[in-house]
Amino acid sequence: MISPAVLERPGRWRVLGLAAGFAAVLSPAFPLLWEFVAASDSVGLGSDFGRALGRSMIIAAGAAACALAVGFPSGLLAGLYRFPVRRLLLAGLALPLIIPSFLWAIGLSMLRIELGLPRDSWLSGAPGCILSFSALGTPLVVFAVLLAVRSVPRSHIDAARLAGGEPAVLHHAGRAAFPAAVSACALGGILSLADPGPGQILGFSGAATQILVSFSALYDFELAARQCLAVAGVVLTAALPLVWFAARKMAIGILPRDVIPAQPRRWMHAQWAGPLLLGLAFLLNVLAPIAGLAQPAFDRLWLDRILETVARTGGNTAAYGLLAGFVATGIAAWLAICAARAPSLRVTLIAGLVLVFVLPPAFSALGAAFTASAAPAWLDPVLRSRFTVGVVLGLRLTPIAGVVLLRAVGGASPFWALAAAVHGVPLWTYLRKVLGPILAGPIVVSIALVALLATADVTTVLLLQPPGQDSFPVALFTVMANAPESMVASLCLAYVLAAGMAIAAAALAAAAAARKKLRPAAC
Amino acid sequence: MPFSFSILAAVVLAGFFAAGCSSAPESLGQVVVYSSVDEVFARPIAQRFEKDTGIQVQLVPDTEETKSTGLLNRLTAERQRPQADVFWSGDPVRAAILKSKDISTPYKSLEAKGLPTLYSDPEGHWTGFSARARVLIYNRDLVGEGQEPKSVMDLNDPRFKNKACLANPLFGTTSMHAAALFQVLGEDRAREFFEEFVANGGTIVSSNGEVRRRVAAGDFTLGITDTDDFNVAFQEGKPVGAVYPDEDGMGTLIIPNAAVLIENGPNPDAGRRFIDYLLRPETERALAESEAAQMPLRSGISVPGHVRPLEEMTPMQVDYGELADLLEQLSSGFLKDWVETNSP
Repeated sequence: MISPAVLERPGRWRVLGLAAGFAAVLSPAFPLLWEFVAASDSVGLGSDFGRALGRSMIIAAGAAACALAVGFPSGLLAGLYRFPVRRLLLAGLALPLIIPSFLWAIGLSMLRIELGLPRDSWLSGAPGCILSFSALGTPLVVFAVLLAVRSVPRSHIDAARLAGGEPAVLHHAGRAAFPAAVSACALGGILSLADPGPGQILGFSGAATQILVSFSALYDFELAARQCLAVAGVVLTAALPLVWFAARKMAIGILPRDVIPAQPRRWMHAQWAGPLLLGLAFLLNVLAPIAGLAQPAFDRLWLDRILETVARTGGNTAAYGLLAGFVATGIAAWLAICAARAPSLRVTLIAGLVLVFVLPPAFSALGAAFTASAAPAWLDPVLRSRFTVGVVLGLRLTPIAGVVLLRAVGGASPFWALAAAVHGVPLWTYLRKVLGPILAGPIVVSIALVALLATADVTTVLLLQPPGQDSFPVALFTVMANAPESMVASLCLAYVLAAGMAIAAAALAAAAAARKKLRPAAC
Repeated sequence: MPFSFSILAAVVLAGFFAAGCSSAPESLGQVVVYSSVDEVFARPIAQRFEKDTGIQVQLVPDTEETKSTGLLNRLTAERQRPQADVFWSGDPVRAAILKSKDISTPYKSLEAKGLPTLYSDPEGHWTGFSARARVLIYNRDLVGEGQEPKSVMDLNDPRFKNKACLANPLFGTTSMHAAALFQVLGEDRAREFFEEFVANGGTIVSSNGEVRRRVAAGDFTLGITDTDDFNVAFQEGKPVGAVYPDEDGMGTLIIPNAAVLIENGPNPDAGRRFIDYLLRPETERALAESEAAQMPLRSGISVPGHVRPLEEMTPMQVDYGELADLLEQLSSGFLKDWVETNSP
């Protein structure tokens, strides 16, 4: 019988477990990295790559800073207080997570034209890119802070309130949530490094554009691979202090504690500050691009086309997202348990997750296509199917799940495992009866978050979909170049509407689950 | 709670595995077509083929927009055991690249009768049919009558200073156009054209679709794009006009579609039948009547009024087979440096 105490003791299995987890996450990209980097005798990156990388870092830093500036106070207020339209704004803010970034960039580009702003206005170039990418980073920060505030015990909040009123509550909860906010905004910034879409549309090309050129115009996979690794190296170097800081902060959680979260309550100043801040985030990150996208749909709504596209792609879109959510969450849970509370392992894990995130999605997708092409035909159901698409998407998005679960595992008390060990509880029973229920909330959040992000993917689905099994974003992507603007706008609106409905359904399910949890047990 | 999660996870995974099994391509009764032609134009043709032959088409469309790594890379990655039977390319350069990588196989269709051999590979690796042309698109509200541009060189005219745009010449049909200019004008004059474009305040945008959108919106006065892009804007009632450039000089670049049979594709017979179908006069007519407004390469096919027949044009004289090699050199040399230096 394996004792639950093993989860709280050092051991070689942790390092091996982390290595195995990362091998799984990187496995689709590995064939390409091996063939085109290890076998290459060149080290060049292209003449202008350094400058492009610098531009990308500026955009990433700007997007992360904007997301933190707007998302942190918004998330803090939304986590601690009740105020008008709070839930509606929070649900609306989740929309950019599910919308492909290029769509948001096109929305901003069209909005600029509709507003009659000049080509070098704040809605294009570097400011436009920062705004476009912060649309993804801001919700990440808001929801990360919301979760972090919810994990602050009610007793701590009550004590802070007694000691210094609401300013003390904000200060205490803010300190607790800040590492999560910084991690989330950093993730948002890092995501921008691998995405060429908004830069191409809004006229600001960076490293991702250069990698795209290496792949698609030069067909030079060696160069693309070296450029990807260079981006990863720079990001890791820049992010190491942050990684060290976040990992140590997230390791705090070693005392048993009251895990009942504080319920949001009313506070006079939150009544105006909450709607104002969340409303600002909603306006900039959701309404502005939708306003740009929607206008042509008023000329003609292509209802038949919408219905045909939804019928053809809706099932695949949901299926790819859901499977990705399960895969990413499963691997992330394993990695988080392996790293547990050891600071060095946590730093290694976060650094590894950063590396995975920086690799462009095309790398994993083309690597998987190479592998499938070399494999025997009887493996096609695994390597060339919708299953493959979902798995590769999940592996790519493991870092998102990793951040959620690393914090959740770090927040579980070590004394529970030790107490279970003393009472002779087997490991499996401990996982099922104790750790499982504690992690259930973060697991659901992780699956939902990854599923939402995965549905917005275009590159992986385009390169790996079994013939005829595209998703809604890919269907939209492949008509947007030459279809009438009103058709593209109609499809965009339909997608936004569907995304909104999915988010509303998720929010209702979460609320129902929360009510069930709060209901007093029958005597 | 965790137990129910594990059951749910198992059900989802099993469902996907079953779905994966069922989605494996069958060897009979279907054809897998990768297409770089926009889905909105390619799918209706595929649906007609299905209706006429009973063979199911699994269409994997791509786009010329520059935000993905594209199907050409996918075909390269799958070359050991391809999933595609046919690549329906929007231009002959991508088809020639597949030939150079030994991904295509020769097929000379009997249905190609009447198509000019100028627009096809002599060895049969790709066969050209219905074509687009590269046109100057201008905003009618910003260009007075009689002031319309006449040549590609007018992009560098001082009266269009800071008002002209061009799609990124590393991608799509603009890359082919750039290579064609180098072939026809010679290296020195072509380089001069690109340098002057920048000196005149010209802007590089992401795609031909973006050129269309921004000229139609008045963001730019003039740009260069494809006839199908222009036609979409025109049909939508945007204030745009088009000029087939250089009719008195080097001519207008013609960009035929190219049908390519993939070597060792899973359904070669169905692939050949699909190519036969694409090359028929009826398909050329259908593409002319669609919003793509493509010109038939065959003479004598009736076309709608807004589609200009090929015989009424002055086509640019280029060797399509050699363009692929030239483009490869330019993409890793002059054009790459030019784009890197001058991208906003």
